[in-house]
Amino acid sequence: MTLHVIQPRPRLTGREIGRIVLSMTMACLVGAAVLGAVYLGTDRYRRAATETSEREAIRDMLGLGADARLIEVRQYLAPALRRVVYLAAPFGGAAGRAREVIFTLDGALAGERSLSAPVAEPRGLLPLSRLFVALRGRELAGFVVEGRAQGYKSVIRFFVAMRPDFEIVDMRVIETQDDPGLGAEVAQPWFREQYVGRTAEEIAHLTVTRDPMPEDWKAALIAFARRAPDGPARHLALLQRERRRPVYAVTGATISSRAVTDGVKNTVDHFRRRWWLLAPHLEGQL
Amino acid sequence: MSTAPQSPPTPPPTKIASPVPSARELILNGILAENPVFRLALSLCPAVAVTTTVANGLLLGVAVLCVQVLSSVTVSLAHGLIHPRVRIPVYTIIIAVWVSAIDMALQAFTPALYAQVGLYVKLIVAFAIIISRLEIFASRQPLAPSFFDGLGMGLGFLIALVTIGAFRELLGSGAIAGIPLAPGKPLLFFALPAGGFFSIGLLMAFFNWVERRAQGARAKAPSPSGGHGV
Repeated sequence: MTLHVIQPRPRLTGREIGRIVLSMTMACLVGAAVLGAVYLGTDRYRRAATETSEREAIRDMLGLGADARLIEVRQYLAPALRRVVYLAAPFGGAAGRAREVIFTLDGALAGERSLSAPVAEPRGLLPLSRLFVALRGRELAGFVVEGRAQGYKSVIRFFVAMRPDFEIVDMRVIETQDDPGLGAEVAQPWFREQYVGRTAEEIAHLTVTRDPMPEDWKAALIAFARRAPDGPARHLALLQRERRRPVYAVTGATISSRAVTDGVKNTVDHFRRRWWLLAPHLEGQL
Repeated sequence: MSTAPQSPPTPPPTKIASPVPSARELILNGILAENPVFRLALSLCPAVAVTTTVANGLLLGVAVLCVQVLSSVTVSLAHGLIHPRVRIPVYTIIIAVWVSAIDMALQAFTPALYAQVGLYVKLIVAFAIIISRLEIFASRQPLAPSFFDGLGMGLGFLIALVTIGAFRELLGSGAIAGIPLAPGKPLLFFALPAGGFFSIGLLMAFFNWVERRAQGARAKAPSPSGGHGV
């Protein structure tokens, strides 16, 4: 039997250590510079791609035709002034004027003005959320409100679509970094369609259960999500029974299911209260 | 393009067999003689994971090709500046930088495909084939041969992924690139991971057979380096 004696490497001198540190630092700095350059070069296209997919999602959720207009309202917090700022403008940089409405934290109007040009990201303001108002001619066609919820691992970003009377017409998970098979399963159509058809009052009292979902309800939700010809009728028939029951959590994603449900509740509740304050001041836009 | 052997500006730490092969030889070497998947059996896990369809295999293959070429070129240019004791961590940083750059580019320009295979693109950092080519080849060779070696290895990986993807999609879902071709009930087994390994084994055997036939009686034992790469 032979024993292989591992020869110790020569000890590192201070000079060697300095060169190693320099080598690693240079690699990191050059790498950071390359990544920064690529980010600057691709950011515009990434934003455009995100905007296109958001526009398609909004139109699809509300079932809008080509004639509908979309107004994007961005909500910001001005921490130093203790003000909430709303910026409303046609979605996606379409031609048209923008409007700025400012409230105090307790909901009193603190100022409003029209802006001639659409505003890019304003400085010094913290973005809070976004909402989209859909219009057919001068008639309100519905809302899509962006919401966020802390999932198991990451923040889940979702859209809730509502009729003008605040009844939920669709809900979609736009972004999640949770694991496929676990937290990310809240994007499943049968889960998210559970909110559809419930009124704002019913959403406000919604709870989550870990009980298994009744098979007929699951089948109806899947048919509804796939837009099967009998989907809406099957959904409506069972909705009368289910609308007073809780949302059924996804197995393996209970935390994310609760988080999304609470997120939808908060998003709808906040939106309803803000909308009554905001709507009278968006005259130029609506 | 001619790539006559040139002496590099600074003497490399160790030299592999000289003279340096031509560009054509290097590219063919990556595609056939040392194909990363069918010959070296490296990076089999991602090869199995993404090759359920041709489109997924193609996108990951293109991403690997870009990362391999860019990393090989970077290491070839910078090897004089890299301290030998920390060369592996520095190679990892170089690969991670290019993977992140490709990741951002795919997200910006192919958002729909990225939504499907984005998860695997980040894993390219840990692909054994890329770091092994940097250590074996690019760190000891000048720019041009390193570029063609990276190109050959990347193309070899791309072709392997597309071939496996086509094989599995045809047998597993009866289609190629989403176009239905085979009538009847598909063999779901080939779309599952175990079927992926069987597919790679069958294709490996097929390529061996083709090579033996092509070489005729000339006895030449293939010399796969073997590997247990990610």
